[in-house]
Amino acid sequence: MKLSPLSVPYKAAQKGASIVFTLAFVLFSGASAFLGSIGGPLVAVGLLGLVVVVLVGYEVLYYQRYDYDLTPDTFDIRSGVVSRRNREIPLRRIQNVDISRNIVQRVLGIAALDFETAGGSDTEAAIRYVTFEEAKRLQSEIARLKRGDAKDAPDIESDELFALSDRELAIVGALSFDLRGPGILFFLLSGSIPFVSSFFEFGVEATLLALGGVLVLTGIVLVSWLAGFALAVVNYYGFRLSRTADELLYERGLLQRYDGSIPFDKIQTLTIEDNPLKRRFGYATLAIETAGYAPGQGNQRGSEAAVPLAERDRVLSLANDIEAFGTPDFTRPPKRIRRRYAARYLIVLGVVTGIFFGINAALGASLPWYGALVVLPLVPIAAHYKWKHRGYWLGENHVVTRNGFWKRQTKVVPYYRIQTVIDSRTIFQRRWRVATVTVDTAGSLSLSNQDAAAVDVEATDAEGLRAELEGRLVTAVAERRSRRRRVIGPVEAEAVADEKSEGDEQTDVADDASSSGV
Amino acid sequence: MLRSAIGATVVGVAAFFLNRATLELPVFVPVGLFVVLLVVGVGFAVLRYRLWGYEVRGDSLYLERGVLTRVRTVVPFVRIQHVDSARGPVERVLGLASTVVYTAGSRGADVRVPGLTAEGSDELQDRLKGLAIRAEGDDAV
Repeated sequence: MKLSPLSVPYKAAQKGASIVFTLAFVLFSGASAFLGSIGGPLVAVGLLGLVVVVLVGYEVLYYQRYDYDLTPDTFDIRSGVVSRRNREIPLRRIQNVDISRNIVQRVLGIAALDFETAGGSDTEAAIRYVTFEEAKRLQSEIARLKRGDAKDAPDIESDELFALSDRELAIVGALSFDLRGPGILFFLLSGSIPFVSSFFEFGVEATLLALGGVLVLTGIVLVSWLAGFALAVVNYYGFRLSRTADELLYERGLLQRYDGSIPFDKIQTLTIEDNPLKRRFGYATLAIETAGYAPGQGNQRGSEAAVPLAERDRVLSLANDIEAFGTPDFTRPPKRIRRRYAARYLIVLGVVTGIFFGINAALGASLPWYGALVVLPLVPIAAHYKWKHRGYWLGENHVVTRNGFWKRQTKVVPYYRIQTVIDSRTIFQRRWRVATVTVDTAGSLSLSNQDAAAVDVEATDAEGLRAELEGRLVTAVAERRSRRRRVIGPVEAEAVADEKSEGDEQTDVADDASSSGV
Repeated sequence: MLRSAIGATVVGVAAFFLNRATLELPVFVPVGLFVVLLVVGVGFAVLRYRLWGYEVRGDSLYLERGVLTRVRTVVPFVRIQHVDSARGPVERVLGLASTVVYTAGSRGADVRVPGLTAEGSDELQDRLKGLAIRAEGDDAV
């Protein structure tokens, strides 16, 4: 099968735009004088024309020499203008099939297709560009072939699980903060405070500093809120989540439109996330991790949410739809841990005050260096809340952990997805007789984010918890294996292949992980 | 352990020269620093050696390590993807080797048992491989 013919002008224009731009810049800056003596503007036009011809010619050749084929077992791609490349991707290895379209592509009716496999953030195959209908067809065909249906079996119905209303979209925006830009701004601005204050007279400084500080803080909050709002709207406009028998399908995006799939088979962890604002209004977010890939990754960092926002009950029931874990009953860390958190905050406060004092002494001014101590009464409250939102629970088939106050994450990990269990105790934890039990999975969010962890568990319980998790993991894996064998029946060879495929996908994960130096 | 000692020596020597070059302090200061660093480094290494342990259990590989942060890792055999026997340059000189166990996890992706003898490392590798295959199930048809 061939790519869409429209990909030729689109790609040519895409590449051409940058080249033409540079060329124009060069020509109109210095070289024009030089070239003027040769042939004047004709040379410029000629050069541009040449570039256009080369570009279009290359794209035409690429188009002519690009061929793909979907067989019952593999996806084959034959490509390359100068050096030919023949690829056969086993369908087993393909985890997600993602379609993305920006505005121009939507107008032209073409789309980019990406295949993700386990264990890499690089796409296994990136197809540029096919028509949107063809992309959708490939997405559902691949799902059908992986399922093992016959070619003429009827299409599987997809039920819509969730659609983000405009109101909810507005709320997503309103409750999102993007601290990256403002964070850098703050860092830069805070350095200027001593300099700025030195311009003013004594006495006025203190109030001015306070005023300045408040202004800067409000500014940061405002900017990060607006940035978060804009980003959220752009990312989640028109969000829809639906399910088929074996995968979740989602659609989202305003400028760049994504149509992605998440096979149930590959789901490693579910994360229910919220912040104090969301909690206050009864909302939450659901994120799904698959091995080696998180939804929404790809070429933009973006967010990894599968359900960006919905009422908490809705999110919980959706999460239970995907992985039936039930209602967690969390075990919190021992109460004395609150003192540990309070001590930690006090130390931070002490350090900050010390820094202020140092600055004060260095400048020889009389700034209120003890200003930071204002937050002292908040410390025990903060410690209590941090403790309150921490906990773990061992369900029948899942382990659920919960951590965080400003960004609270409830992570649901099925036992058969556990890779290794790690019990760690820092010096301080040893003193407080607690430990942290971390559950490692093959999900990629674990690299940037945290793994599911039961933090600050009573030390005497930690050993038991670890042993328990290990035991349940082994039983769960064995159970799954025997269940699969029963389902598949007498066709032993296939059974082995399927078992191997569960191991294989993890081998692929490990292969890719080890080769990328994880 | 020797690795840590060598590391400490290197740091000590570097610090020594740095001190001599940058500061006009009397000689015994950088020497003192070097000695202190060496002692700390060696002490650390000894502690690390003492606290290092692994155990091949019924269903999993159990590892204990860490001086400041004590970490205990459990790698169930069903999760072992492959096992490597690796020897870095320092290890080769000293006649040592490590066994590295790979899983599909992102944090515990490779779990390392260092400081084994060369034969010991190969033995452990074979043993773990066998246990992993057996744990995979009796469907080695």
